[in-house]
Amino acid sequence: MYYKFSGFTQRLVGAGASSAYTPQGFKPAVPMESPALIFGTPTKLASDSSSTVEYMGKNKVPELQKLFQKPDGVPVHLKRGVPDKLLYRTTMALTIGGTIYCLIALYMAAHPKRQK
Amino acid sequence: MTHQAHTYHIVDPSPWPLTGAIAALMMTSGLAMWFHMNRMMLLNLGLFLMLLTAIQWWRDIVRESTYQGHHTPLVQKGMRYGMILFIISEVFFFIGFFWAFYHSSLAPTPELGAQWPPYGITPLNPFEIPLLNTAVLLASGVTVTWSHHAIMEGKRMEATQALSITISLGLYFTLLQMFEYYEAPFTIADSTYGSTFFVATGFHGLHVLIGTTFLTICLLRQMNYHFTTSHHFGFEAAAWYWHFVDVVWLFLYLSIYWWGS
Repeated sequence: MYYKFSGFTQRLVGAGASSAYTPQGFKPAVPMESPALIFGTPTKLASDSSSTVEYMGKNKVPELQKLFQKPDGVPVHLKRGVPDKLLYRTTMALTIGGTIYCLIALYMAAHPKRQK
Repeated sequence: MTHQAHTYHIVDPSPWPLTGAIAALMMTSGLAMWFHMNRMMLLNLGLFLMLLTAIQWWRDIVRESTYQGHHTPLVQKGMRYGMILFIISEVFFFIGFFWAFYHSSLAPTPELGAQWPPYGITPLNPFEIPLLNTAVLLASGVTVTWSHHAIMEGKRMEATQALSITISLGLYFTLLQMFEYYEAPFTIADSTYGSTFFVATGFHGLHVLIGTTFLTICLLRQMNYHFTTSHHFGFEAAAWYWHFVDVVWLFLYLSIYWWGS
């Protein structure tokens, strides 16, 4: 009996000899092993992988990974700096303003003008 | 950041549940204001806030997965279950509309002329645009699978092209449905035929638009090198959703367009 690690159930499951052992040089269509576990920071950067032909722009993922994995304690929604802050403050201002507007609107709806 | 000795994702504190809840309050209050006082200001502000919340929330999830590596196989497993449950809930949403359709059509009331399609209704010919739409959606199911295999084999160019074709087919379907709605000789106010037809096909059309948006986000992420050969669950979820929309169309076509005419 042969076993392989199932990436879906996270357990060892029964397998045929061919899927339990993939000979060198043959690339399986579906990866047999689940990717390595990532424990917080620092993580392996995508730049370590083999170089690929670049078209339609540069691969910016490795530098963005460095930026977003900086251990500075900033929450993920503000990690990119000023643009994030501006967008967050606009959203928050709209939230507070909207709550007040809602209260006024509901008060107005609760006190309709008497029709004579 | 301290060393993490487990594979779970402990999320950062996030403002988006709060802003989303307030957006929902603004939209419901805004609807009441629109209906009773004919003022759309609050409704539009609520919609805008909901849009801002959705964009930033999903942007953060992309950051957490692609840039911070929090989506471990265990976390991905939770997402798989979540997406499966979401699609099951969507299936039951559509079952409700099919129930209404069969309830009305299997025993047509005297008010309908005791026949289906009801007296005075001229249905659409199922072998014209609806059949083309069926072919378009089936073809898009093929191209999205093609794109998935290209991603798994690391063929970037092919994956991008196949995904672009899928999105184009989705947009073509929407365009054809728009023409069909424009040309339809009945309206949503024309008996239970009109209401079951437009509510069921209309919600399907909304889901096609959502699916097309989901696939477009995947295309942008694919072009920005976010997907690897073994980790691309965002794409898989979009593909599952797309297949679901495709299957709902097949049932709509067989029941409402073909059998119902």
